[in-house]
Amino acid sequence: MKLKSKFFQFTGHPLSDSCWSLSVGPDGRIYAAACCECQPGETVKVVRYNEKTDALDYLFDLDVMVGDPRDSGRATQCKIHYSFAPSLHDGIMYMATHLSGPPIDLPAYSPWYFWHDKERCFRGAVLLAWDTKKDSPAWSDTLYPKEGCRCLLHDEERGLLYSISYPRDHLFVFDIAKRKSRDLGRIGSINAQALFLDRRHRVWTTSDYGHLVRYDPDKGRVEHSPEPLPHNPVFQSGWHSVFYDVAPSPEGDCVYASTWIAAPRLIRIWPEEGSWGKVEDLGPATQDRDTWIPVCTFLDHCGGLTFAGDRKLYYVASRWFKPDTHQEKDVYKMDAQKPQGVIWQLDPQTLKRREIGVLERSDYFAQYVSRGAVDHNGDLFFAHVGKTPVGIFRVPMPASHKRPDAHLPLRMWG
Amino acid sequence: MATRKKYDRSLPGTRELVDKIHHGIFIDEGSMVAFPLCFPGATTQIPADESRITAVCSGPHHMVYGGTSGRAAHVFVGMFHGVTGCVVDLGMPEDTSGTAAVCCIKDAWVAACNGPAGGQLFRGSCQPVPFDLIQEWSFSLPPMERIGMPVKGERIVHAVPDGGEGLLISTTSRLVRWSGAGASFGVLSEHAEGNRMVCLPGGVVLGLRDARSVWSWDPASRRFEKSAFALPQTIDTSSGIRWAAGNAGDVYLGDSVGNMFALGAAGGDARKVATAPLKPVTSLAATADGRVFGTCGEGMEHFLCYNPATGKIRDIGMAVSIFERRRYGYAFGDAVTGRDGQVYFGENDDLGHLWIYFPALLPVKRGS
Repeated sequence: MKLKSKFFQFTGHPLSDSCWSLSVGPDGRIYAAACCECQPGETVKVVRYNEKTDALDYLFDLDVMVGDPRDSGRATQCKIHYSFAPSLHDGIMYMATHLSGPPIDLPAYSPWYFWHDKERCFRGAVLLAWDTKKDSPAWSDTLYPKEGCRCLLHDEERGLLYSISYPRDHLFVFDIAKRKSRDLGRIGSINAQALFLDRRHRVWTTSDYGHLVRYDPDKGRVEHSPEPLPHNPVFQSGWHSVFYDVAPSPEGDCVYASTWIAAPRLIRIWPEEGSWGKVEDLGPATQDRDTWIPVCTFLDHCGGLTFAGDRKLYYVASRWFKPDTHQEKDVYKMDAQKPQGVIWQLDPQTLKRREIGVLERSDYFAQYVSRGAVDHNGDLFFAHVGKTPVGIFRVPMPASHKRPDAHLPLRMWG
Repeated sequence: MATRKKYDRSLPGTRELVDKIHHGIFIDEGSMVAFPLCFPGATTQIPADESRITAVCSGPHHMVYGGTSGRAAHVFVGMFHGVTGCVVDLGMPEDTSGTAAVCCIKDAWVAACNGPAGGQLFRGSCQPVPFDLIQEWSFSLPPMERIGMPVKGERIVHAVPDGGEGLLISTTSRLVRWSGAGASFGVLSEHAEGNRMVCLPGGVVLGLRDARSVWSWDPASRRFEKSAFALPQTIDTSSGIRWAAGNAGDVYLGDSVGNMFALGAAGGDARKVATAPLKPVTSLAATADGRVFGTCGEGMEHFLCYNPATGKIRDIGMAVSIFERRRYGYAFGDAVTGRDGQVYFGENDDLGHLWIYFPALLPVKRGS
């Protein structure tokens, strides 16, 4: 099998520099966030893939939708960061906003620098409930003030939304019926980029030193696992081996994860086995490299984990051909490295991996993929971060790898 | 409302401004190290939700004793001189979830901890200097002893040495003295609300009587003076107060709205000397050269430095540790000065670390 991709550039948001969120909605369609985190005074636009027109529909500008204008002088509602969470029973797509986009008249924003600045400080993460049946907002609320939402998870049975705040790295739970947030405590300094839920309604993530972190609502306690997750044993200590992306198996009994940031690794976790789950090291996600220089974190990367209709795991890992030496002169200048976004297929039965395609973007490299999803038709979609304007990839799957309602069961976290 | 113009990134100075925004808020003088509450490589950390450090004090051999709050309270000792470099968990005072104070008296530590039944005192032996902690080691952890409850059902707000072998304990409604023996407590005074106190190098203890006056306890005469000093203005205690005592008898008091007062060694001349960059003041400690360091603010606390020689106070930024443990520090509960003028700050947060702040050296004024 050799897969081809088609790139859908965010031409309706030409300044968009990142797509951090891409998820399948409760309606089986693909939603994505056209984020704009580098330009002063911009906002995120929410888009949806339209299979009838084979194009993107731009649904709304988030700053307008929530009444926090991009030219306010505060940090902007610039992105949705791993924070789409569907709700199947009522057709709602929850989304929460994140920070980092500079105020209109400043070149940069730091949530630490401006924390006490009433004029500049980010107003707060907004939680928006988008009704996919009516194509209109159901309601919106502030998730928490001053901070952004790094990742979001929906426990649909219990009507709860879990999230991690940035920069203070606190785990929060939001009661949807009561519209009330509760702080469950600080995790560390590095935000994990994903949460996942097990069948016992426990919420999992990771700490700064690569330990599993679990909130058990029955205990009312955030706990840390005794052992760190697998990491490169040559130069890593477990520090910064936090979750980047986590995909549930279709059976719901285990998850597949990639780590963030240096030397991303693939892991399979069976959360209900033993006291801290069974953790399997599936090995490095990207190539061997020189270990004496730090590699650009946008070059060495793995994301976009998703199961397709054939019950196999797909993800995108970067590949490059020259040592990384570009550093900060121009983050987009990677002509020497010629990086690629390689689509991999992993068979959960054999754990064998095979390369099945390379993402093609005619005007730039496509090595960085944040999230992936499968729509109700069974086609793959990947979100891309790179040169402006960014966009998403659609990867049509062969009929033999599709099934009706391939997006089910829904992934309940961003 | 004035229309804001979009920033032009081609403007000169943009890179410098970006660097300032990203790095400029973090500590800009001296260095900080966040030390985990464990013996790295030999023990695990105190659980994250039991490690909010709310009390620290100095003990024998220049060790630092402290107590935590959260799901349960722990008492710990940190050692950072000689071939040491560890924090040892000395145990969990039974039925408690918060530490109001830890004090060292001779070779023992006493912790004032709160739980559902009220505040209680616990005692244990201080740690001797261990063998070389790079090579090999052994530790003995003698059992901690429950001393008793100063006031039945009442929470302890703070406790300090009484200048002798006992403690002065401030509960929510009373000031109580424990002599250091047995489990009997004598009431010195009743008050409307408990507050923190300070024990000066000579043993005199000061505390707040009300919003405008300070009481004192003289251990030599055993005299308790209800209104020893007047404060120049009403102080705000809504989020607590913080004291610091310097070697020269200088005493500082910070309140909930950021007022900083100085009380002279002999008393009687309390005056406002500065306003903290943020409110409330959450910790204070005077270092060897007379400067006062502390923390202030909410959500993301900043460090302050008051220099009595210049009369100036500076916001020296937020806590960040980049040596070994990479961590941001957002909330602090207490501070104490170490042997060489470094200041130990107890991080009052989940997975709290003991932060060691090494102040920047001041220029030497050469003699004529």
